[in-house]
Amino acid sequence: MSGATWEVAESCVDSLNMELVATYYKRLHPTKPELAARRIEAIGYQVGLQLAERYTRDRPRFSDHLESIKFICKDFWAEVFKKQVDNLKTNHKGVFVLQDNRFRWLTRISVDALPLAGAQNESAVAANAVRASQAAGQYLYFPCGLIRGALTNLGVPCGVSAEVTTLPACAFVVRIKV
Amino acid sequence: MIVCVAVVGHNNNPLYLQSFVDDDNTLKFHYIVHCSLDVIEEKVSNSKRAGVNLNETFLGLLYPTEDYKVFGYMSNTKIKFVLVTTDHDLRDADVRNFFRRLHGAYVDAASNPFHVPGKRITSAAFAERVSNVVKTFGFGAAA
Amino acid sequence: MRASLRPSDPAASPAVERVNAELFTLTYGAIVRQLLTDYEEIDEVNKQLDTMGYNIGARLVDDFLAKANITKCTDFRETADVIAKVGFKMFLNVTATVANWSSDNMECSLILDDNPLVDFVELPETCQGLSYCNILCGVLRGALEMVSMRTEVKFVKDMLRGDDAFEIRLKLLEHVPEEYPYKNDE
Repeated sequence: MSGATWEVAESCVDSLNMELVATYYKRLHPTKPELAARRIEAIGYQVGLQLAERYTRDRPRFSDHLESIKFICKDFWAEVFKKQVDNLKTNHKGVFVLQDNRFRWLTRISVDALPLAGAQNESAVAANAVRASQAAGQYLYFPCGLIRGALTNLGVPCGVSAEVTTLPACAFVVRIKV
Repeated sequence: MIVCVAVVGHNNNPLYLQSFVDDDNTLKFHYIVHCSLDVIEEKVSNSKRAGVNLNETFLGLLYPTEDYKVFGYMSNTKIKFVLVTTDHDLRDADVRNFFRRLHGAYVDAASNPFHVPGKRITSAAFAERVSNVVKTFGFGAAA
Repeated sequence: MRASLRPSDPAASPAVERVNAELFTLTYGAIVRQLLTDYEEIDEVNKQLDTMGYNIGARLVDDFLAKANITKCTDFRETADVIAKVGFKMFLNVTATVANWSSDNMECSLILDDNPLVDFVELPETCQGLSYCNILCGVLRGALEMVSMRTEVKFVKDMLRGDDAFEIRLKLLEHVPEEYPYKNDE
């Protein structure tokens, strides 16, 4: 039996994502967040390479970078995050911004991981929002790696970073390397 | 009869080459596969220049030699697949089906977490699948 | 496979969202590979996978009990059955068989013919000591500890190492009295 037809509970994917972050940030590199981020990104990169291979099977080759990026925004996003990117912007100089107004993985990590609740006054709410965005940031290195891996394998060498605006919205910035 | 199957990476690095004849002349097949890469390159860039943009993965007959016919296929990730055969009357559908199955085997081999991208495929499971695809070539077998 | 899930099946209840296993399988594989480069000792990797599983199991157990509509099992035999028939089915979409009970009913085996973690996986020669699916042991240990059962869980058969099935040995060490505070794993 091949993985193409096998289904698992989505909570398996969520659990693994959360535990991946906990493993590298809390246990392996508690004092080196940059290193934890790099390791998690590298894991995402490997998976991205493999997914690009799997998801583009039986598909004509893309003719340019834009077509590959559109594939990421539509088909790839739909497979992995169960929706499409809401908005794609570009400066026509090799930078693309993929905006997702409701990034699925940020809607599914548990409350204790994202300190959102319990704030009383305004400043506490603001402080909480900052903390939540920071915490959310740790969960975005893996998808950044996924996107970079997939695009690289499709012939688009790039760097990918993420920005959290208002949870659960976030934007992925793709910078094509020339 | 299929005499050789090869998989080549996007930097023209060999990932897999297997001959299926007894009087094994691997060097000769290496040479044929090597030459076919230039033809693939040419086909892909020519179609781009001509504005027709043939983006189909199946590239058809690359070139006939005196003894062999060589077919090619290139994935979206620029992995090239080469088939060398002695048959003269091949059905297009059989060749396409062959490449589709070979590509499928490659995709699974590349999904092994211990496979290093760009390195030769050493997987026994892959070799077995390829040999099965070769054995059932032309029998209309499904993937 | 969708077709194999019947409506009467508790694991098929609409509360459980399902996704294609590819992403899960590949992510787990990439984590294992990264851990192998992070640690020199393969035993350390096994331990780390077990710890990851423990945390996941401890977190998932309440959700599991709620969705599967199960009240806490008191009996270890019953518990093993629920894990095999409902737990594995709900999360990984595979069914395990319970076998090889010890005479004192404190130990049994969960046997799997297949499991989505190992799709595409071939262990290299250098990873002989690796218990690739060790996270599953941790998940069971973590979940059981949350329902007051302290256990020891390990693989005794592994298809990646040439065995004919996956066999997880489950040993009940003690029933912790209801008034815990738990000691966290770390």
